[in-house]
Amino acid sequence: MLETLFPTLSRVRFVVQLAMLFLTVYGSVVVGTYAADKITGALPALSCAYDQANGAYCVLVPTQHQVHHRIGMAMVQAQQLTTQMVLPLLMVLLTFFAFFFVIGKAFCGWVCPLGTLQEWVGKIGRRFGFGVRRFEKGDLGEVKRIRPVKWVVLLGFVFLLPLLTGLGVTPHSLGNPYCDICPSRIATTLLTGNTEELALRINDGWKFGLGATANVLIGFMLVGGLALRLPFCRICPLLAFNSVFQRLSPMRLSKPTRASCGSCHICTDACPMDIPEISSAEGRKAYNEDCTLCGRCVEYCPQDKVIELKWGPLALFGSSRAYYKAKVARELPDGTVKPLKFVRNAAKPATADA
Amino acid sequence: MRTLIVMTSFALSCAADLALAQHNHGAPAAGTRPADAAPAPGGRPGGGRPSGMREWTRQPLLLGRPVKDDRAAALITARGLTAGGITVYAADGPAEARKREFAIDAEGARIEAVAPKTGNYHWVLAREESPELVKVASTAWYFGNPGDGPTDMLATPKHELEIVPSPLPREHRSYREAEKWKFLVRYHGQALAGQALAMETEFGSRTQAVTDANGIATLVFPRDFKQPPKGDGESEDPRARGRFVLVTEKEDGGKRYLTAFNYSYTQDPERSRSLGWGAAFGILGMVAATPLLRRRQQAQGDKDHA
Repeated sequence: MLETLFPTLSRVRFVVQLAMLFLTVYGSVVVGTYAADKITGALPALSCAYDQANGAYCVLVPTQHQVHHRIGMAMVQAQQLTTQMVLPLLMVLLTFFAFFFVIGKAFCGWVCPLGTLQEWVGKIGRRFGFGVRRFEKGDLGEVKRIRPVKWVVLLGFVFLLPLLTGLGVTPHSLGNPYCDICPSRIATTLLTGNTEELALRINDGWKFGLGATANVLIGFMLVGGLALRLPFCRICPLLAFNSVFQRLSPMRLSKPTRASCGSCHICTDACPMDIPEISSAEGRKAYNEDCTLCGRCVEYCPQDKVIELKWGPLALFGSSRAYYKAKVARELPDGTVKPLKFVRNAAKPATADA
Repeated sequence: MRTLIVMTSFALSCAADLALAQHNHGAPAAGTRPADAAPAPGGRPGGGRPSGMREWTRQPLLLGRPVKDDRAAALITARGLTAGGITVYAADGPAEARKREFAIDAEGARIEAVAPKTGNYHWVLAREESPELVKVASTAWYFGNPGDGPTDMLATPKHELEIVPSPLPREHRSYREAEKWKFLVRYHGQALAGQALAMETEFGSRTQAVTDANGIATLVFPRDFKQPPKGDGESEDPRARGRFVLVTEKEDGGKRYLTAFNYSYTQDPERSRSLGWGAAFGILGMVAATPLLRRRQQAQGDKDHA
């Protein structure tokens, strides 16, 4: 019964993402108006506090708040350091880690509403016949070049600017700069029928500029996502935040040294984050900072038990040749599927002309 | 695969349990935006413009302001009624501390959260009673620490005639111009149908609604907000708050009951925002991404030809 309903890991993940999208965008319908505020302020996924219908919100909101209002201001006042600086931030981090411990970086690949939306945009792109663009030599350049951006966003927009604002160096408008540039703020509020976050503040230059950046990002994500898989995740500070703690969660990707790994690179082709290390490396290095634990590399590994999703010592899902054959018959590793009929029909005359 | 499905279910149930366990955490002080949650004069529910302004209503009011450097305290003053004390109901904390009395002195009443580190909404009321009239002023105060949600606290009857927000604004939210909000009117704990509920705002609007069969009145906040005067070079404060009061009256057994609920509201955010500019930058992002689509198709075409 279970295996009929959930024949593949992708199907399990799709159902989980659907449920989580509902919870993180409309969750207050289920958990109640007030409980929704309190479920967590430390969710390791971009569930936006600006969305008034959601059921939880993202760790980056209280982090910026603590850095701005507690740490910055307490440093200015230079008093009550322990209670005003350390404890509040520690509480946020501990709460975050309590959540993170359960499924680790799978929050990115299975729970984050923005990740889910980007994946669905990508699926639409495949159906409409847009070819996949990749961060690799010969296309968009090596993926390593873009990796530092998420750290810059995390350190600059989640920590440094709020801190400088708390210290009085930068204006109050820069108190929560990451929220202001976050495309999830716009996407999730639009999903509730609210256009307020799409509209830009016109009476504050800083807010206007940051908001404009978010709008450009969401626009880029919606169109670019048709060809480039998970465009925003690559620079998301929450991916960086989660990767700081990724070794502390029992949930992980496991690829021990195996003679049977033929370095076919199919797993890298399948990876929506274009991680080359999953095919070129083994052990700890194979579980890269960009990994979202989506499990596609495991699904598309044609060798038995070379790559596994594990929780502690427990193997949740391992690669197998039989599974690979069935999977690849439906969808190619890079996500390519049979385009829609009218897209195929439109392509035929062009081919004939050629 | 079966292991994964079972583990997924387990992980989600753990996350849900953990979520409920975290029910009391992560609640910075109220504000209209996540980082606007810092204590700010007049930035708290129940607050509004600084006191000393003109009288805008003759209805009973409870006006509050934060106490400097103490997130767990507030100063409440009563206007339009003579009350000896303020009663505060909490949603959380020890049972014996969930209802407490605070004396009013010349400065007002210094009320406190049920515990120093327990916050969220507290219900605040003052009462004046004579043989002919029971006059109650009520409001809610949000202490900027984590605490239980106010569902049960609001559901518990506290006096004869009550106005109960259904619901109170969520964290990072406020009552706002042009929005519809619901209020329950109940008498001795029972919903009161067909009861008139009047609204007055400090900007001069007067409106009225009548409760339905479930005792719910739906009010549209008037679009009347006026920004406080600003100095040279100062921009509008999107967090500025105005006050409103809801009033309902009922006669029963020769006694008149008058109950008021006052709180604050903010301006329609669309006043200081531009959807046109937002859409324009969104489209700019889309245009910037189009080369990703076009170039790949060309490359694919070249590959096909080869």
